[in-house]
Amino acid sequence: MSGGGRAITVLNVAEKPSVAKSVATLLSRGQGIRVREGRSRYNKIFEFDYSIRGQHCRMLVTSVTGHLMELDFEDRFRKWHSCDPADLYAAPVRKFVPQDKLDIKRTLEEEARRCQWLVLWLDCDREGENIAFEVINICTVANRNLTIKRARFSALIEREIHDSVQNLIEPNQWFADAVDARQEIDLRIGASFTRFQTMLLRDAFVIDSAADDRNLVLSYGPCQFPTLGFVVERFWEIQSHEPEEFWTINCSHKSEEGIATFNWARGHLFDYTCAVIIYEMCVEEPSATVTRVRQQEKFKYPPHPLSTIELEKRASRYFRMSSEHTMKVAEELYQAGFISYPRTETDNFSARTDLHAIAQEQQGHPVWGSYAQRLLDPSSGLWRNPSNGGHDDKAHPPIHPTKFSGGETNWSQDHHRLYELVVRHFLACVSQPAIGAETTVEIDIAGEQFAATGRVIIAKNYLDVYRFESWGGSVIPTYVPGQQFIPTTLTLDSGVTRPPPLLSEADLLNCMDKAGIGTDATMHDHIKKLLDRFYATKDQNMRLSPTNLGEALVMGYDDMGYKLWKPNLRSMMEFDMRAVSEGAKTKAEVLETCLQQMKACFLDARSNKQKLMEAMAVFFERAARTARDEQHVVGEFVRLCGLCHQSNMVLKRNRDGNFMVGCLGFPQCRNVVWLPGSVSEAVVTANICNSCSPGPVYMIQFKFRRLEIPPNYSVDHLGCIGGCDDTLQQLTEICGTGSRMSAARGGGPTPLSSSAQRSNSRQQACSNCRQLGHSSTDCPSVISGTRNSRSRRADQQDGGLSISCNTCGASCPLRTANTSNNKGRKFYSCQSEGCNFFVWEDSLQNGGGRHGANGGASNSGTRSNSLGGRGRGGRGANNAANGTFVSATGDPVTGRCYVCGDPSHFANVCPNRFT
Amino acid sequence: MDLAAAVATHLTSRSLSPTPQWLAHFTSSVRSNTPLPALQKTAEFRLLGTDITTSLQATPQSTFPAGISESAVPELRIPGPVPVQVLDLEDIGRSRWSQVEAIEMDERGETRKGHEVIRVVPDEEDNSDPNPPATNAGGPHKLLVQDAKGNKAYAFELEDVKDIDISSLSIGAKIVLRDFTVARGVIMLTPRSALVLGGKIEAWDKKWKDDRKKVLKEKAGWREENAFS
Repeated sequence: MSGGGRAITVLNVAEKPSVAKSVATLLSRGQGIRVREGRSRYNKIFEFDYSIRGQHCRMLVTSVTGHLMELDFEDRFRKWHSCDPADLYAAPVRKFVPQDKLDIKRTLEEEARRCQWLVLWLDCDREGENIAFEVINICTVANRNLTIKRARFSALIEREIHDSVQNLIEPNQWFADAVDARQEIDLRIGASFTRFQTMLLRDAFVIDSAADDRNLVLSYGPCQFPTLGFVVERFWEIQSHEPEEFWTINCSHKSEEGIATFNWARGHLFDYTCAVIIYEMCVEEPSATVTRVRQQEKFKYPPHPLSTIELEKRASRYFRMSSEHTMKVAEELYQAGFISYPRTETDNFSARTDLHAIAQEQQGHPVWGSYAQRLLDPSSGLWRNPSNGGHDDKAHPPIHPTKFSGGETNWSQDHHRLYELVVRHFLACVSQPAIGAETTVEIDIAGEQFAATGRVIIAKNYLDVYRFESWGGSVIPTYVPGQQFIPTTLTLDSGVTRPPPLLSEADLLNCMDKAGIGTDATMHDHIKKLLDRFYATKDQNMRLSPTNLGEALVMGYDDMGYKLWKPNLRSMMEFDMRAVSEGAKTKAEVLETCLQQMKACFLDARSNKQKLMEAMAVFFERAARTARDEQHVVGEFVRLCGLCHQSNMVLKRNRDGNFMVGCLGFPQCRNVVWLPGSVSEAVVTANICNSCSPGPVYMIQFKFRRLEIPPNYSVDHLGCIGGCDDTLQQLTEICGTGSRMSAARGGGPTPLSSSAQRSNSRQQACSNCRQLGHSSTDCPSVISGTRNSRSRRADQQDGGLSISCNTCGASCPLRTANTSNNKGRKFYSCQSEGCNFFVWEDSLQNGGGRHGANGGASNSGTRSNSLGGRGRGGRGANNAANGTFVSATGDPVTGRCYVCGDPSHFANVCPNRFT
Repeated sequence: MDLAAAVATHLTSRSLSPTPQWLAHFTSSVRSNTPLPALQKTAEFRLLGTDITTSLQATPQSTFPAGISESAVPELRIPGPVPVQVLDLEDIGRSRWSQVEAIEMDERGETRKGHEVIRVVPDEEDNSDPNPPATNAGGPHKLLVQDAKGNKAYAFELEDVKDIDISSLSIGAKIVLRDFTVARGVIMLTPRSALVLGGKIEAWDKKWKDDRKKVLKEKAGWREENAFS
């Protein structure tokens, strides 16, 4: 130690401006601190004098803003069409400072030149370590003679920061390497798959979920995809669930002391006969004998100390906060010094931590202060050393309060809640468990065993402060072994199995944690990305369901037989990454094996791309203008596009011969109005519609095919596509359009009378629409409730199928169309002379309850039947006939049956239509 | 002692009285220098693999009385012993759908560790599994059994009987029933009344295993086609 002497200049770099400010303020204790501007206006430089182990220092504290560098392919590979995506597994990459970070880089270079030491105050996790090496990289180029040190800290509080600066350590290259490896793997996999699937699918389908996104990218992330996989898998599980009835025998006994409810030891049986036989035996000799009375002290233990994932899960459960928002708020609380570093895997306090001191700080709080006082009073016996959750990232302690606050004025409700959660969680985990006395009484009736349990809470202990958890008590009368009694009630009750609920955000975090997808620092980002990319949606109960897009992608990859959407591959990668951070493997080793494996996977996926196309086709309409040969067919001008207000909408015929009015701005603008499939000719006239705006909207002279429209309509019609033309709308409903996705969006299909009679009296909430009164299989908002998650009912014979004619009642056999427009499509038509009854089989499917017959040739067709459950109508139905007058980007122009006016269905499935 | 008689004595002690034809066929197929105890074991083993409607003697005592599956009869006691063979086996303690899911998971190579069902997050009231939890290892089971005359009856595992298990009991396996109760046409199986001798009939067992998933699905209410039925 130089012990005084000449002052050295120390450059301190933190991860964010606010951390730099906190570190500077804490170290200088607010004395003699000067602030000056750096080149970047956000990253100020704080200067003050300090002494590190007796060495006088001139401290300069500045910051970066997260990563200073980016990893990307060299320029010639960056354009999407610049290379084969498979080349991206070997294309050279480079790490560079992007344009917007150049100011920070210059500041660092300038300051580094005049410093002797560089102290790295980046967050103490793998990511922070990686940024530290980026800073080292920049600074050592500017000044080769720097002495480089790392500050290790977990909370922005005075003691911790001073300790840290007096005990500087070396930066950890392994940690940084692990991040480098992950970045490179993610970049290569992400870019190759994203380019591949986006180029394959974007222009081939009308993906309207992201209609406002003109440059739709179907991104693929190696973490994001397995995360989506969890959501889709659960969704499929729900869709495929078959409710089953089960039976159970319940027994209760009422005495002066109260009532005891005895549960059947068998739980439940799924066989009615057997249940009834046993029930009969019990009823014959109903006398109950008490066989055993057990008294036990039961404990309900407080949670382990708080790790990031637990914080996210609990905030989601208790406050319905998204994990991403939770981390944002926690970060702010950390930067303001109220809680320790919120990204930690550790759920075990080290022996060095002064837990009492942390609790002491909370004694003054108006709400939980008295609990903290009681906790610290040795005579209360409430204190207990916290349990060990078994995880330790060796970098940070569990999340705990670092500064007392009764609430700050600038806190939002969520800041209050999260701080409260952290404090209460801490106080809970240093408290004794709740104690209850449980009594279990076992009885025998005719050889069948039943048991009842009562619980008396003896001491609430930690539950007094941890208001988020509860433990109910229930009292039962006293029984002694050998005692006999006649039960007050003995009943045979039935119940129905229900599908699991949709995955909640907390469940998803749990799945990811178990499978090792992402790290505590990134998991919430992956979830948010699913939502941002339209792959999944979250309802108000924080439960996630996939969008059509998300489901289609997972289905496509699943059909390839690849487990890309399964967590296993990613788990292995994360495992390798950990090995790198521990020095067990080198970065190069991991990169090589991992990329080799993923490239093989990629090539295989690409050769199976047809599967992806097929899966997408289940959910999305193929884009009308994919083939280049159609590009030159410029139709007649109808109007200016009302959506993009830039391009013209023209009348055109698609490849199948169906008419539509589409925007020339395609693919940037996907506005399209499909016309009835029964149009045989259409010519734009010089007449201008008086009612539609923005005008002018030129009217179209239509000619319909006589046999395809009801007799009361004329074959010639001068119509308008602007939305004012009722006749056109009605015919669109009746005849459908050439578009497959035009089916009944927003209208909701209606069960046909022929198939809706399956009533279900079981009282349970529907798993689809969550309303009581019907089960999911009878849900009016679902098209087909029955679908096996993985096994499709594709190969069904159509022989022998028939329905009865709505007009004359004769039996109508199922037949297959052979016209160019509807090749392979199944329909029913009446054989009776003079009867024109005709209906597409898939339109019945749309309306029907559990009709599983598959119409078209698509092997995924049956799955499409179940898609309507989320209010999107029978979008997947093959060439759905029950179309509505709809624009691909907008809402349906009409939403009610024109025959009877009922908004719940469309005219082509109207039960009153042929009466 | 006559070889055939010695074998017959042993089999009868196991409550399996073979038909003379079967016995004759058996004795003609074995070498006579084999030690008798080994022969007796061989005979029993082979007999367990046969269809008892052709291989066992059907006496009034060794078969079900008429009207055994009459559900109007609350209770009937039959002394037996009646050897029967298993035609069908079902776990009625678990929903069929959950069994289908388990089979599919198995097919995909995902086996459950222990009996962990991941869908339940502990400590959270509003997220509990709406379905009743599966009781321990499975069962009780419901069986369809057949006597030597070809009469069929359902049997219910009232008390846990060793060796009655979906994964280990084969179709065609033999069970000897003695002093048993029939309630409402269903035989009550208890460890005292049912002795599982084992064995299987290969062709039946294979077919049952091949069809099991389909059968379970159908029983669960899953239909290929029911909208126009």
